[in-house]
Amino acid sequence: MALLFKTHFRLAKTSIKENRTRSFLTCLGIAIGVASIVLILSLTGSVSNLIKNEANEIGSDLIVVRPVSKKDSISNIIAEFTSSNTFEQSSLSLSDVTAISNIKDVSAVAPIVTSTNTVGSEKNTFSSVPVLGTSPDFIKIEPLALRFGTFFTNGNKEKGVVLGHMLSLSMFNTINSTVGKTVTIMGERFMVVGVLDEIEESINFDNVDFNNALIMDTESLDKLMGSTQVQQINIKAANTDSLAAISDEITAKLKENKSGDENFTVAYGDDISHPASSLFMIVSGILALVAAISLIVGGIGVMNIMLVSVAERTHEIGIRKAVGASSQNILMQFLFESLILSVLGGLFGIILGYVLAFLLSIITPFAPYINWQILVVTFVTTIIVGIIFGIYPAIKAASRDPIESLKHYR
Amino acid sequence: MGDSNIIIELKNLTKRYGYGDAESYALKDFNLTIRRGEFIMIMGPSGCGKTTLLNIIGLLDRASSGEYFLNGEDVAGISARRQAKLRAKKIGFIFQNFNLIEDLPIIENVALPLVYTGYSKTARLKNASSIISRFNLQEREYYFPYQLSGGQQQRVAIARAIVGDPEIILADEPTGNLDSRSSHNVMEELKAIHSEGNTIIMVTHNPALTTYATRVINMLDGHIDTDIKTIADQNLPQPISVKIKNRKVKPEVVLGEIEPSKKRRRRKSHRRKK
Ligand SMILES: Nc1ncnc2c1ncn2[C@@H]1O[C@H](COP(=O)(O)OP(=O)(O)OP(=O)(O)O)[C@@H](O)[C@H]1O
Ligand SMILES: [Mg+2]
Repeated sequence: MALLFKTHFRLAKTSIKENRTRSFLTCLGIAIGVASIVLILSLTGSVSNLIKNEANEIGSDLIVVRPVSKKDSISNIIAEFTSSNTFEQSSLSLSDVTAISNIKDVSAVAPIVTSTNTVGSEKNTFSSVPVLGTSPDFIKIEPLALRFGTFFTNGNKEKGVVLGHMLSLSMFNTINSTVGKTVTIMGERFMVVGVLDEIEESINFDNVDFNNALIMDTESLDKLMGSTQVQQINIKAANTDSLAAISDEITAKLKENKSGDENFTVAYGDDISHPASSLFMIVSGILALVAAISLIVGGIGVMNIMLVSVAERTHEIGIRKAVGASSQNILMQFLFESLILSVLGGLFGIILGYVLAFLLSIITPFAPYINWQILVVTFVTTIIVGIIFGIYPAIKAASRDPIESLKHYR
Repeated sequence: MGDSNIIIELKNLTKRYGYGDAESYALKDFNLTIRRGEFIMIMGPSGCGKTTLLNIIGLLDRASSGEYFLNGEDVAGISARRQAKLRAKKIGFIFQNFNLIEDLPIIENVALPLVYTGYSKTARLKNASSIISRFNLQEREYYFPYQLSGGQQQRVAIARAIVGDPEIILADEPTGNLDSRSSHNVMEELKAIHSEGNTIIMVTHNPALTTYATRVINMLDGHIDTDIKTIADQNLPQPISVKIKNRKVKPEVVLGEIEPSKKRRRRKSHRRKK
């Protein structure tokens, strides 16, 4: 049996070599499908890695409260994905923040309120600047480094603001003498008390572009805007053992505040990165579907070429049967051929996929992500594709009548 | 049926094509008993069922009704898989149009039956190579069929037919595409194979070739018209005794009777020695 396998393998190799161009093009079809699957898996892995790393940096004592009741429901994610102002429908308010800060074992609470405003300096005005409203506790929770100055404190929070690295550069053409300068937001004057260090990761669990943002106190922002919507509340627990207890208490308190409505989620640990990554999952799911379709197209290519091969080699099939090949022998011969085509395409596709992932990593922060699961999944997939699309031509070949086949001359 | 010298026995074999008005018979109530070591020539007008008969004997085709015993085994009931196995081990086919695989070199064409009887690649090529040298084609082992003349191709086909050491050689007009000189060569090869104890059943349209046969069967419309033992039948022992002497097998083997079991034992030990 092993001997026959070897023989079939050799036969398939010969046949593939003989039709080099044809085999190459067929493999390419599979390779493109596999490459896109590899690329998507690599991207997905890379992104969740980034988010996980960030959550780790923040620490294991973090609890996050977000609006939206049905956790991870597809329609929520799609709504989040398609509408630009989901946060205006937020169910969290500043009174929730106060309520949470009164809970025992909570050492710091920072709401995340985002808006965009026109911000002016003495020289010029900038519109659509992302403005983040939070509390002085923010810096205790987020590991953001300041390049110059300090974060605003309870003492100077009413008039003190912190600028992102890029924002400082574009408003004042500098970062080192920005501290102490004045910015104007909706007619109110504020003083820059700190400038953030440059941040490389563009993805974080707050969904804020810190490099370009202006950070100020929530209450000041609330006063300026008249009302605000809290997008997220970050909570630091006094110790990591009581995370579950604290989050239960938060849930209870907020429910009480909202007269029983549980239109928010409380998350800690790995769950924190979940909402952001499930949005990503939807996108990558759609991409994976596209990749799967292209793999199916590649598989149809294999089937097509195998059908041509069976037709071309009818005479050969007749001869082989006459000298003693059973139908199973013929079936295996052709199945091996389609398997090899497909697996070859798969290997080619894995390489191509990682080359693309590498090229993508040059222009994006997503490093190529390789693990054995990805390799195994794609490899098994190509084997399955080879069998699914090879079995019909192989059965067709095997069921050829030897006498009829012998009459087929080329 | 108890006679172990009978290799093929056909009883009331019928092959029908089509149904109803389109019904026709390629073979009708065909009866034939073939003994080991016979060299049978089958003649008859075109369409009388000669090829059909060979295909059924060669297990490429099944009869519509009737019985076929191969080595005493009723072939009707066996699986397609077992049929293939019998084809690989017991039967060698030679065709009018050679039927070599164009994409394979000569040596691999010759080795083809061994693929399906479980030989390793090296053993296959070694066996094929020694058979090829017997046919004086050793310089052309790695030629492709299109690089050979018709006569050479047919010799390759004969080499392929005997490489697996089958008991029965079925040849359907093996000289049909060849000139008289090549025909003569092919017939000499078949004669040599026959002299080694093989049973040969050959279809031909050339009456001159019947001198090689031990038995000539004339067919007409799917049945046997005449069935004649020839003079060659009496000459049968001669080449066998020569061969046996050459291979140093017990001299007391009676001329004219071929002991199948001894024959096979001899061949196997012969192969092992190499
Ligand atoms: N597949 C088939 N379908 C229908 N009829 C067939 C088929 N194969 C053979 N026949 C018929 O069976 C009869 C015998 O055919 P066969 O090929 O055995 O003749 P033959 O004796 O070999 O003739 P030739 O000498 O021309 O080769 C013919 O009448 C033929 O038409
Ligand atoms: Mg014929």
